[in-house]
Amino acid sequence: MAHLVIESLTKIYERGKVRALTDVSFEVERGEFLVLIGLSGSGKSTLLRCVNRLVEPTTGRVVLDGVDVTRLSPRALRRTRRKIGMVFQQFNLVKRSSVLANVLTGRLGYVPTWRALLGRFPKEDLERARRALSRVGLLEKMYARADELSGGQQQRVGIARALMQEPELLLADEPVSALDPATSHSIMQYLEQMNREDGVTVLASLHFLSLARRYGTRIIALKDGRIVFDGPPGAIDNAKFKEIYGEDAEEVEVR
Amino acid sequence: MKEWLFLVRRRFRSWATSLLTWLHGAYVAFSQWVRLVRPRLISFLFDWIAWVYLLYAGFSVHHIRTSPTLIWRPEEKFVLPELSPTGWIVVLLVTIELALFVRSFGVSLGQRAFGVSLAPAGGSGTRVAFPRRVLHFLASHLALASLGLPVLVNPERPWHERVAGVVLVPRARGASRYRPWWTSAYALTAAVLIGVTVALGWAVTDIQLGALVRDVGKPARLWRGLSRPDLSYFFTPHPMETDSIFGALVKSLFMALLATVLGAAIAFPLSFLGARNITATGPVGRLVYALTRGFFNVFRSIESIFWASIFAIWVGFGAFAGTIALFLHTIAALGKLYSEQVEHIDPGPVEAATAAGGNRLQVIKQAVIPQVLPPFLAFTLYRWDINLRMATVVGFVGGGGIGLLLKNFKDGGEWTQVGAVIVTFAVTVWLLDFVSGWVRERIV
Repeated sequence: MAHLVIESLTKIYERGKVRALTDVSFEVERGEFLVLIGLSGSGKSTLLRCVNRLVEPTTGRVVLDGVDVTRLSPRALRRTRRKIGMVFQQFNLVKRSSVLANVLTGRLGYVPTWRALLGRFPKEDLERARRALSRVGLLEKMYARADELSGGQQQRVGIARALMQEPELLLADEPVSALDPATSHSIMQYLEQMNREDGVTVLASLHFLSLARRYGTRIIALKDGRIVFDGPPGAIDNAKFKEIYGEDAEEVEVR
Repeated sequence: MKEWLFLVRRRFRSWATSLLTWLHGAYVAFSQWVRLVRPRLISFLFDWIAWVYLLYAGFSVHHIRTSPTLIWRPEEKFVLPELSPTGWIVVLLVTIELALFVRSFGVSLGQRAFGVSLAPAGGSGTRVAFPRRVLHFLASHLALASLGLPVLVNPERPWHERVAGVVLVPRARGASRYRPWWTSAYALTAAVLIGVTVALGWAVTDIQLGALVRDVGKPARLWRGLSRPDLSYFFTPHPMETDSIFGALVKSLFMALLATVLGAAIAFPLSFLGARNITATGPVGRLVYALTRGFFNVFRSIESIFWASIFAIWVGFGAFAGTIALFLHTIAALGKLYSEQVEHIDPGPVEAATAAGGNRLQVIKQAVIPQVLPPFLAFTLYRWDINLRMATVVGFVGGGGIGLLLKNFKDGGEWTQVGAVIVTFAVTVWLLDFVSGWVRERIV
């Protein structure tokens, strides 16, 4: 059984009546590294956010492990969300909080409400945070304020936060768009590591085709909210590229 | 649970859900309609009222200037000018004509306020030909005569605009070429409105610059007393008073402190209910949001003086009444400031905490509070500042503390004591201002 099934997903934003997604369907096997590409506004972010229902789909189904996510009660949705890690373009850290506090946010789905309110996370979670931070090489920054870190370091904190959830699926919404090329590769390698070593299914949207080719096991291209390509990285030739990005586009290499 | 009870519950749930969905749908459709109607109907009302106001204010200024009640006399009531019925009809017609005229032959103040202007239909350029403007002007008369029916029925493309071949489009910002303000209808109207309002205000408030210069010696005794503050009752109470100046000052400081701390404690949880991004996520949430904000607005607009007068009768004159008065106003004032701060947070961390499976309380604790706590503290300190100053005013109407002392000295004509109170108070406020400013700078 496929790990994640998207069935004729459509999203229409009420304000402005924008059709962000139109009848999008695909299946993701466990352990895949699926990369979404497409121009800005092609629906990548919306698609990712429909998976954990940060954005409520208009019609269609999202089935994770045989469970229809779109029909879950709020409580069950929160339980499902903790299995889905997420990494964001703008890192989405609380800038004034410590790195540790930000990483512990990843445990919210697991701890009782009173613990979170008092800020008293269990010992195991602190140990887990330590492990997650040392995995992304930021253990010594544990008590630093998040806004003291560089962009790449902040995204690594974001990854550590996702690691805290011990996710089975990782959504990465343009995780490297705000970073320089060298840092981009280091971040992508952390995602690759999660994918290969922990067996986490990864769904990442990327701007650069070269990054998508290098890290993805499969690529889905969106254009105006529809799938225009679905296949292995090698199958995107020049003609396909022009179809996805438009006639005037030139491929840019990120080294 | 019994089977049938379960079924009934589920049936009711689905029924309630569909009702709520329907209500929400109706609400969305209605607000869509309002959005389309607003730039036409409301902005017309806006223009029309502006013209009525202009004419009437002009009349009033003339009336006040020419009537003999120029110098304030208590026995003569201030009377607004009255018009004969025919006069009113003339005013009505003239103002409507003027409003329709500026709306067709330029950008009126109302259109500008709603950010719209006329453009030729079919998207051919932005200049509307003169004949079309004339046609629009004439058709608008019919639309108005039918009480705005074309707009109400077809707000997207009302009849009088179709006939004239024009559309009302959002004004392109910065797209139009630069024009001096006196050449555009709306700026000219605004300038005249401001001018007439100032003239009216000048007449109504009875401004007499002459008196300011002529009678400068009248409060001489007062000046003398104030310039020689008598600090002999600073620590020992004046024979007619229960509190020394210092004692009363301490009282006022604590009144302000208690009102601020307790008010902040209540305002803190309420502020999340009054934040659109936290609460207004569904129909019920929107209601809670509106109620909380309504509460803040109502209680904020009722001044502490009013509360103090009530509580002085309720719980007796003194610091307690004053504290409650300040407390009530603080809840609303801080609540509103706090809520706005919550609405201006970076939504990213909230998204991240939600994605990790946090419930609403957890998300607020983990992603919202760390962002708003420093500004909250700054607002609270600032509020203490304000409350201390308000404590004096509140004391005047029965709230106790240094305000009461000031009032008693003033009523007794003991100007040297008044001077002492004012100096003491000014120094305290200045000190507190300085300290809280210093602290605020460090936490934000």
